[in-house]
Amino acid sequence: MTTPDFKALEAEAATRVSAASDDEALRAILREYTDKGGVVAGLLAQIPTLEPSERKGFGQSANALKQGVLAAVETRRGELEAARLEAELNAGGFDATLPGAALDAGSLHPLTHVRREVEDIFTSMGYAVLDGPEVELDYYNFQALNIPADHPSREEQDTFYCDAEHTLVMRTQTSPVQIRAMETLVPPFRVIVPGRVFRNEEQDATHEHTFHQVEGLVVGEGIQVGHLTWTLKRFLAELFGYEPKIRLRPGFFPFVEPGFELDMSCGFCDGKGCRVCKESGWIEFCGCGMVHRNVLEAGFAGRDDVDVEKLTGFAFGFGLDRLVMTRFAIDDIRQFMGGDLRFLKQF
Amino acid sequence: MKLSYRWLERHVDLSGISADEVAVKLTLHTCEVEGVEPFAPQLTAVTVGHVLEREPHPDADKLGVCKVDVGADEPLQIVCGAPNVGPGQRVAVATVGTILPGDFKIKKSKIRGVASHGMICSKRELELGDEHDGIWVLPEPDAAVGTPVAEALGIQDHVLEIDNKSITHRADLWGHRGMARELAALFGRVLKPLDTSLPESGDAAPIALRVEDERCPRYLGLPIHGVRNEPSPLWMQLLLLAVDQRPLDLLVDLSNFVMLDLAQPNHLFDARRVEAGIEVRAAKPGETMQTLDEIERKLTPDDLLICSGGAPVALAGVMGGEASKVAADTTSLLLEVANFHGTTIRRTAARIGLRTDASARFEKSLDPNLPLDAAGHLVRLLQAIQPEVQLPARIADAGEWTDPSSEIALAGDAVRGLLGVELTDEQLAKRLERLEFGVQIAGGVLQVAVPSFRASKDITTPEDLIEEIGRSIGYGEIPGKRLIAEVAPPARDAQRELGRRIADRLAGAGRFSEAPGYSFQPESLTVAAGEQDAAFVSVVNPVAEGDSRVRRSVVPALLQKLAPNLRRCSEVRLFEVGKGYLPEHRNERGEPREVRELGLSLAVDRAVAEQRFDSGALARLRGATEDLLRSLGRAGIEWSKATDDLPTWSHPSKALELSGAEGRIGVLAQVHPQVAKNLGIEADAAAAAIDLLALQTTPQGASSYRPVPRFPGVKLDVAFALAEETSVGEVTQLIVQSGKGLVGSTELFDVYRGDNLGAGKKSLAFHVVLQAADRTLVDKDQAKFLDRLERTAERSGVELRRG
Repeated sequence: MTTPDFKALEAEAATRVSAASDDEALRAILREYTDKGGVVAGLLAQIPTLEPSERKGFGQSANALKQGVLAAVETRRGELEAARLEAELNAGGFDATLPGAALDAGSLHPLTHVRREVEDIFTSMGYAVLDGPEVELDYYNFQALNIPADHPSREEQDTFYCDAEHTLVMRTQTSPVQIRAMETLVPPFRVIVPGRVFRNEEQDATHEHTFHQVEGLVVGEGIQVGHLTWTLKRFLAELFGYEPKIRLRPGFFPFVEPGFELDMSCGFCDGKGCRVCKESGWIEFCGCGMVHRNVLEAGFAGRDDVDVEKLTGFAFGFGLDRLVMTRFAIDDIRQFMGGDLRFLKQF
Repeated sequence: MKLSYRWLERHVDLSGISADEVAVKLTLHTCEVEGVEPFAPQLTAVTVGHVLEREPHPDADKLGVCKVDVGADEPLQIVCGAPNVGPGQRVAVATVGTILPGDFKIKKSKIRGVASHGMICSKRELELGDEHDGIWVLPEPDAAVGTPVAEALGIQDHVLEIDNKSITHRADLWGHRGMARELAALFGRVLKPLDTSLPESGDAAPIALRVEDERCPRYLGLPIHGVRNEPSPLWMQLLLLAVDQRPLDLLVDLSNFVMLDLAQPNHLFDARRVEAGIEVRAAKPGETMQTLDEIERKLTPDDLLICSGGAPVALAGVMGGEASKVAADTTSLLLEVANFHGTTIRRTAARIGLRTDASARFEKSLDPNLPLDAAGHLVRLLQAIQPEVQLPARIADAGEWTDPSSEIALAGDAVRGLLGVELTDEQLAKRLERLEFGVQIAGGVLQVAVPSFRASKDITTPEDLIEEIGRSIGYGEIPGKRLIAEVAPPARDAQRELGRRIADRLAGAGRFSEAPGYSFQPESLTVAAGEQDAAFVSVVNPVAEGDSRVRRSVVPALLQKLAPNLRRCSEVRLFEVGKGYLPEHRNERGEPREVRELGLSLAVDRAVAEQRFDSGALARLRGATEDLLRSLGRAGIEWSKATDDLPTWSHPSKALELSGAEGRIGVLAQVHPQVAKNLGIEADAAAAAIDLLALQTTPQGASSYRPVPRFPGVKLDVAFALAEETSVGEVTQLIVQSGKGLVGSTELFDVYRGDNLGAGKKSLAFHVVLQAADRTLVDKDQAKFLDRLERTAERSGVELRRG
């Protein structure tokens, strides 16, 4: 019999492998050459018919053919894979504007966001956060705060009364919690009280009958005016991320003496004067002062463990709503309670 | 309150100090100044003109053609219809281009064919009064031609607007002299003396006064004769105009002027109407009187009346009576200057809704020494205008008043301690003395004499004096001081922390939006939520009719917010952590019980709700709540069907109760179909109310972990056919029992009802994981489990569906 032309066979196999365009074709080639009954098996089957001296060389050549096919297929696979990857990488059809899958996430109220910031700043300065009732006794809301029954400032506060005798009111300020704090805590202490307050006002874009305040109270021995200014300055610096200038000017609140209004330099114009600060360069931030002696006396009345004579303190109260409106440029306060998800989900 | 800068200058030399500087000084040391405005800028816009000639208009009898010198090269030709214009007069000319009040721009014009280059102004056009029957002939015949009128007459002024709230405690600051005194102290200037002594009077008997009510501590009555009621002098009119008081006639203007000058209200009666003398008494029940504004006022014994011959002639401290007011022909007066009890006046003014300049001052508690000064001041002003005015009798002075002047001992150390300033006792004394306090220093204590004008209400304690020192120094001079105290973490507020974790979980994993609602619950919502029979705390003076109820729960408002949002999305999830009040539970002080509550509401489009057994609102809300409780470490809370004591918004038979060891923590339920209908919720809706205090006191479960299984488990699905009444919980029980400890978890994944099952039947399908802690499970385990399950189920009338 004639010895097959192994070189030609190898060349033919190589040509077919390199022409294969996908894995399916490569596997067909492999089957053709390497399966039982395939080309290589056929060649090996001829061995017994050969002269013993030829057998070894023939066998080696047939095996070499097989190895050559296997190697060629592997190489071709690599090429095809590389080409496929290349093609995938170069494929177009990517729309960079296709939106992400909507999550329909929930949201916290903007008042909550800012209130938490305020709470976190003060707790980091050692303040406890207290809470108090929204339906409050006249005693806490007024009397104990040095606002007796006939005090003119009661009328200015537009109080909602909860009974004809006026013993219960919707609290007009968070200050009643000052008294509640004094009744239960042991000085020295520092607390803040965020909460809802109520005044009988007509509603419009900037006025609400329901709004939010943060009260602050520090009581101890040797508390001075300077402690108040330092504290509020630190707080404002943390809240706004820059240190505003502040100024104290006389302000009248029955439960402090001396009483102050605290202004901060306008952040919109850097104190130069603009529409926001009505050209004054200053924005009213809060009322504050040194706790009135009558208030300390009322709050610590009947406490054997407290020497009230030795105590002084400062208190402040600021509105949260205005801060939130400024922070997010919200122009209508009525949105806060409106419950419209288009508003709520922005925060 | 408005202040005129020029008026202040009558009392204190402000040379070199601008109105703006006055405003800043007051703001930083005394009270809040809301603004500084130039007074009557139109008086600066018009020019002094000299009328050179007036010729008749060729085409109109009533018009004149004037040549007016306004200091320009050529005189202006101005057509003028005023009858009183004539050569030689100094007049106010609005030249072409001038803009007068009312945005009235003067233009070059032709009047009946004659060119006119400006306008000669009347007082009314300059907003100086109502007179318009002629032009305003300037009172200065030598006023410099061509200069602005305000400058030529020396009447440039600035008006300072004071925030009334910032001086409610300072009765002394409600007049120009009080403010001037303050400025003198702040700027280190001298308060000009003011002669307020009463001039000589005749020997006639003083007027008869009877003060029967202690709410009138002092009443002065002084007859004044020989008065002519004419227009007040221009200087007075201009000052009154500057502070927004419309000049009327000399007597009214004078009375107002004295009040605005010294902060002491006063009243002038026509003497003919009070010949019977004066009596001060409480009004009788049902008594009425007509006040100056011609309104009939109904009075009560809380009101104080000034009477003559038994009949009211004035409502004390608020307003005079119509019948006794001065008129054009008045020649004899009775001057009243009194001191009334502040609260009485405030109450009367508030009750009848008539808060006047007088009542606003009386309610601040005025110095009872002040009336005598005011009487003298008024008479002296009047005599300067009309020298022939006479006092026939001495002033009558009635009432039992005490001088409020007081002494306060102030420790120097208390001042330094509170303000943190390093000032000696002498320096502190100097500060007080400048503000007209008297000070004696002895052994570190300042004995401070408080003058009566500060003692009537404002200064009563040492702290009040510390404030005086602090503000006179200027609080800006007090350095900030670091607050140092022991480092101890503040007490943690478990409820607040719980509230924060709840909000975070719900807004995060739960995808709920925080939607706080008003504490006031409108009547309409109360009815819609079925709460009309519940007890509410309610306010007696609500913002609007029907808005008086204080909510019991946060849920109704959360339900109300569903429908509007459902118009824009297929699922709405809302929550609030807030407070409600239950008046049926009150403590011994009368405080209603406060409930701190987590409210949740959820609504989902009906088509979406029906997609799967767990797509409905109740299942979604339950899933979110279970996740929340797990995240709070309260997975041990029991869920059970609730039937009693349900919220009014709850479906009567589709309600769940969450309970811990102490009982109910909350309710989660389908929204009652009627409530949903009332609120326009056209979707599947559920809500929950959870009591935060109950939740907080529910102990947290053990926080130790369960080991992750080491051996692989077997997952299989099982399905059952069973009667509609049999619950998922019962079937789950069957699975767990049949597992003999090998059931690691079960998960319901399908509920099916169909004709092939037969009526009253349903099919439940579960994923089940079999799991052993000590070995790998094999096929045999699964087969045994299924056999057991089939038998156990069968005994309960449940068919295991194989294959």
